[in-house]
Amino acid sequence: MANDNGNGAAAQFKAGVWSDNPVLVQLLGMCPTLAITNSVENALVMGAAATFVLVCSNLVTSVLRPLIRPHVRILIFTITIATFVTIADRYLAAHMFEVSKKLGAFVPLIIVNCIIICRAEVCAIKNGPIKSLCDAFGIGLGFTIALTILGVIRELLGSGSLLGYPVMPAGFEHWVIMVLPPGAFLTLGIVIGVVNHLRLRRSAGGAA
Amino acid sequence: MTKFLRESWLVLTMSVTFALMLAGAQATFGPKIEANKIAELEQAAVAVIPVEVAQLEKMSVNVENQDKTVFKCLDQGGAIVGWTLVDSDFGFQDKIKLVVGLSSDGSQITGLQVVENTETPGLGNKIAEADWSSQYEGLVAEKDVVVVKGPRSQETNEVSAITGATISSEAVTRIANKVIRQVRPKLDELR
Repeated sequence: MANDNGNGAAAQFKAGVWSDNPVLVQLLGMCPTLAITNSVENALVMGAAATFVLVCSNLVTSVLRPLIRPHVRILIFTITIATFVTIADRYLAAHMFEVSKKLGAFVPLIIVNCIIICRAEVCAIKNGPIKSLCDAFGIGLGFTIALTILGVIRELLGSGSLLGYPVMPAGFEHWVIMVLPPGAFLTLGIVIGVVNHLRLRRSAGGAA
Repeated sequence: MTKFLRESWLVLTMSVTFALMLAGAQATFGPKIEANKIAELEQAAVAVIPVEVAQLEKMSVNVENQDKTVFKCLDQGGAIVGWTLVDSDFGFQDKIKLVVGLSSDGSQITGLQVVENTETPGLGNKIAEADWSSQYEGLVAEKDVVVVKGPRSQETNEVSAITGATISSEAVTRIANKVIRQVRPKLDELR
């Protein structure tokens, strides 16, 4: 699953953004990707919240790794992630009330987002804090970028706007399907297809 | 006992630490969240009254052993310009919370706004849009509001259901009718 082209922290960061992108390559975290990307604002805030949780969770796991026994590690990951997600959720409800209402239950659902517990298991429990932090930021950035790509497409076509500002010309007929789940699936499928095509072309070009 | 502690001290310590962190988060953010919710409710309460409301007086009525919140809306001079009723009950997905504005004599519905809902995005959650809820303006409060599919007639107290979201539309009307029926007779006690 992890395809690491180099061992350093910088390589870990780069991998998280592109070659190991959690949504577009690893196909993890599909639930929020499909549910909340109908606007760019939602996508950015969700990405930021998930990145915050990833960074804190990876840091705590990595620092405590000599003490974490294998048979309690899932339990420890879960309570760590749940705590930071709750803090993020309360912060959003206090300081970004409107967005918090739009994201609804999907912020607490970050607790069960596979991406975060996967990074704890695959990276943070085996590596030092620096590498774990770079991994967290890279994966978080990759997640945010994937969400934003979908958010831009869906908001532009589905609501004719970007970040709430009307962008499309006045006569444009909104593609309502883009705001609904079927539009999410269609857009995601096409984006993954395009990304796969680019990756295959790049690796075929590199081998030749 | 020592074996138990040796195996689990880390989990116990982390749990206690995290519990303290969460308590701290609640203490820090809790008041702001409450203030946000109150501000949102007050904004909605004012929005359903057609005239400028200078002061909102929050009151409580007991109906069927439940306390319902009612806002007395006053103008600059302290005269009552309207009433805002608040209620929440089950819709299609989960609870819908809404505010209904009544004229000062309680005879007319001056507006309705859905404050909280978890209805289907793009369909049921259109009940939160002003385009739909503005249908309630000018309807009569003495009779029940009726939901119809297709075009509606204002004279017979009707509202048009949202296409593809009949249950959500009916839920909003049911909640509004219920709270008006319960609270209207008690308005005189609150004057």
